[in-house]
Amino acid sequence: MHIAVLAKVVPDYEVPSADFELTDSRAHSRYTRMIGLYDENAIETGVQLKEACKAKLTIISYGKTEDISVLRKAIAMGGDALHLVMGDSDDPFVIAENLKMAIDGLGDVDLVLAGQQSADMDRGVVHSILAGMLGWQFLPQISRIQSEGDLWMVAQAHENGTRNLQFSGKGVLSITSIPENVPRIPVVRAIFAAKKKPVEKIEGIPGTPMNAKEVSVEIPKMESVCEFLPIEDMAETATTLLSKLREERYL
Amino acid sequence: MTRIPYWNISYGILIDLFALVAVIVFARGAYGHWLRIRQGKVRVRKAVDLPGKIGPVFVYALVTKGILGAKLYKKIFTGVAHGFLFWGMLVLGVGTTLVVLNVLFGLPVFQGGFNRWFMSFFLDLAGFAALIGLLFFLIRRWLPPERLVTPKARIGFSVQIGILMAVIITGFLVEGIRIAATGPDPYAFVGNFMAAWLPGSALAAHRILWWGHGLLCMLFIAYIPYSPMMHILLVPTNTALADPMPGSKMGVMDFSSFDDEDAEEMPTLGCTRLVDFTRKRLLDYASCLWCGRCHEVCPAASTEKPLSPKGVMVTLAERLTNGQVEDENLIDDITEEALFACTTCTACMEACPACINQPKTILKFRQNLVMEQSRIPELMGKAMTSLEQRAHPFFGTGSGPKEWCKDLDVPIFAKGETEYLLWIGCSVTYEERAQKIARAMVRILDRAGVSYGILEESRCTGDPAKQMGNEFMFSELAQTNIEEFDDLGVEKIITLCPHCYNSFTRHYPPMGGNYTVIPHAVFIDQLIAGGKIVPRSGGQSIVYHDPCYLGRRNRIFDAPRNVIGRLGRLVEMPRHGAESFCCGGGGGNYWAEEVGTRINQVRSKEALDTGAERIATACPFCLLMITDGTKKFTEEPKAFDIAELVAEGLE
Repeated sequence: MHIAVLAKVVPDYEVPSADFELTDSRAHSRYTRMIGLYDENAIETGVQLKEACKAKLTIISYGKTEDISVLRKAIAMGGDALHLVMGDSDDPFVIAENLKMAIDGLGDVDLVLAGQQSADMDRGVVHSILAGMLGWQFLPQISRIQSEGDLWMVAQAHENGTRNLQFSGKGVLSITSIPENVPRIPVVRAIFAAKKKPVEKIEGIPGTPMNAKEVSVEIPKMESVCEFLPIEDMAETATTLLSKLREERYL
Repeated sequence: MTRIPYWNISYGILIDLFALVAVIVFARGAYGHWLRIRQGKVRVRKAVDLPGKIGPVFVYALVTKGILGAKLYKKIFTGVAHGFLFWGMLVLGVGTTLVVLNVLFGLPVFQGGFNRWFMSFFLDLAGFAALIGLLFFLIRRWLPPERLVTPKARIGFSVQIGILMAVIITGFLVEGIRIAATGPDPYAFVGNFMAAWLPGSALAAHRILWWGHGLLCMLFIAYIPYSPMMHILLVPTNTALADPMPGSKMGVMDFSSFDDEDAEEMPTLGCTRLVDFTRKRLLDYASCLWCGRCHEVCPAASTEKPLSPKGVMVTLAERLTNGQVEDENLIDDITEEALFACTTCTACMEACPACINQPKTILKFRQNLVMEQSRIPELMGKAMTSLEQRAHPFFGTGSGPKEWCKDLDVPIFAKGETEYLLWIGCSVTYEERAQKIARAMVRILDRAGVSYGILEESRCTGDPAKQMGNEFMFSELAQTNIEEFDDLGVEKIITLCPHCYNSFTRHYPPMGGNYTVIPHAVFIDQLIAGGKIVPRSGGQSIVYHDPCYLGRRNRIFDAPRNVIGRLGRLVEMPRHGAESFCCGGGGGNYWAEEVGTRINQVRSKEALDTGAERIATACPFCLLMITDGTKKFTEEPKAFDIAELVAEGLE
């Protein structure tokens, strides 16, 4: 069995909005770069699946050479190989085409896992486009995966509960975060081993981008408004606070 | 009248042959201890030139803590009882040896003033004191306080107490019958008292008691290594070999073999079995008396967390005694929850009369859990991931790195121009409440005209990683800092956080980072003493909470108190100074989901109960923990860093 996990290197997803800055419509280069939050959940899920099914686990990314040092963490967590498709497009169709090329190149991939969305654009569409291109089924927001014979048993997390599904054949799954797939801290000997593992660099293809052009990117300005509520009566204060939050559409 | 040695006894010299047998049995038992301890790794000790250190032995510590038992007297009744017993038995032992030397070589000990004062009066006094001590310990064994209770009874102690009591009582009976038969000995006050009640004609009883007394002595000596009484040798040895520097020094690990292609074997990181520990640690476990003083002062144990430092020691001591040195289940038996509940406050070390380093053992286990097994509580794991990704552990922070100095003109450290590096550290950079410490410090330094600057990029020293067990991450962060300091030519550092101070002074020098480091509390005290700043006294009462990493670990108690004394009336909590109670945030437990009572609430209540108007501290983690802890009891902001109080006094 061969599992591929898609991992994307993104700017620090925790930069406070007041501190956020753009250069050329992109997050400023001073922000630390790291593997996307949900992608790490996908890697952890992949590692657990690898351990359970004795599978091979390949990490695939689309990005630049400087991402390699960041992506080695995925290897240290338990990935067997790292394939980097070189490119800098942010068009989901172009990215999906490049990822498809890498997966086709591997030949024997059974399952593709990806974080449910990335931290930079938050679109969460690349994996579904990729599934369409591969002609595989796509199941979003998956929290648990089990292999039972020829079947995959998966749990899909919803706001109000869980839906259990099963499918056979190949698939692309987007992984959501649950306590059971909190990314592990790589052990030291794996960190050192990961440094020595060769990385397969694949020249990217131009692909066919969407017929849309970026006109501008804007960051909303931070504004602080402070209002003190009377606290003599706690119950009344709570009610007032609740109605105000609703009025302002925070709730 | 000159006393006749071995009076009424035939072939008394035979007792010396029995003594020889006892010593051989004793030596065999002691050798067994050595065989167990030598299974540990040999400690690679770097040459440290300290005054009073001979080879690996810290002489001052041996004398004060090992022999005089200075720490024992922190519990006055136990201390005095122990002193009575130890010194009493020692004097009796000297007396007995002198009698043997008299018999064998005619040493004139039964003559003149020496006989009257030492052989009669002091030996009776010593026996009497030892008996009182024994009575105290016997009652303690029958009615033990909670700290003494152990899962398994240590019967060896009770047996030895019983034997010693029998030795002393038979000794007094023998003396009483002898005095009754040969006439009063005015200086032997116990002997005379006994003689008044005993018949001088009971010569057969005297002989039986004499032999019984002698053989019980031999039995006691022979049984020592097979009972907890072995502590009379192990504890002074452990004390003599224990680094007297307060707090737990974890040393620095070398990871080069992991990068070496030709390395035959990579070392195990941290410890998971007894054989992974050094001989010194195994000596710790063998020396532990299970007295529970560590348990009593442990903030985790006293707030219903699963950790008991005594429990950890007892588990390890039992395994060592049973020869289970290769046992892989140690960590699972102690439990991961217990090991991560340690706040590394080192109160246990401070309380331990045997100079055992409990936190080092716990941290060695943590190192293995984190670096070899990737096992860590979820929140700590998130903090560690954040450290790895962003060089600070404050994941999910709403604050940017430049936020604390917004609207302030804070100079950047300039190579060759700036004298002091003001090290901001992670908590002050990313926690909104702690940011006020840095803002206050900037105002103080500006007012005092100090040449200082900050780094362009704020970073963590790595202390949280080290205390959580990730030595590798610590070394990476520390190396980055040291390289930057070298580039900038940093020589003097002012720290706002005692954790940073502790890292810079203890863990950076072995990695090549040697600086003059001054905690902000000390620096402020120096500025006030030098007249550079003159804060106004508000006349308020201020209670001071000693941060563990500043006080107990680095013995900085006076400077913050001097500062507070200039601002108002200093109030002390019952637990302060070296006996201070942790805020609960150390050892990575700032990022912990606490079970049981919250430590910060216990400490905050203790501070509030003093009735002081304000609570001062000198550590951002303590400030954050106590600020949070007081919220349970009052909505009024009560906790402040001393820099904030001083800056307020300058306005």
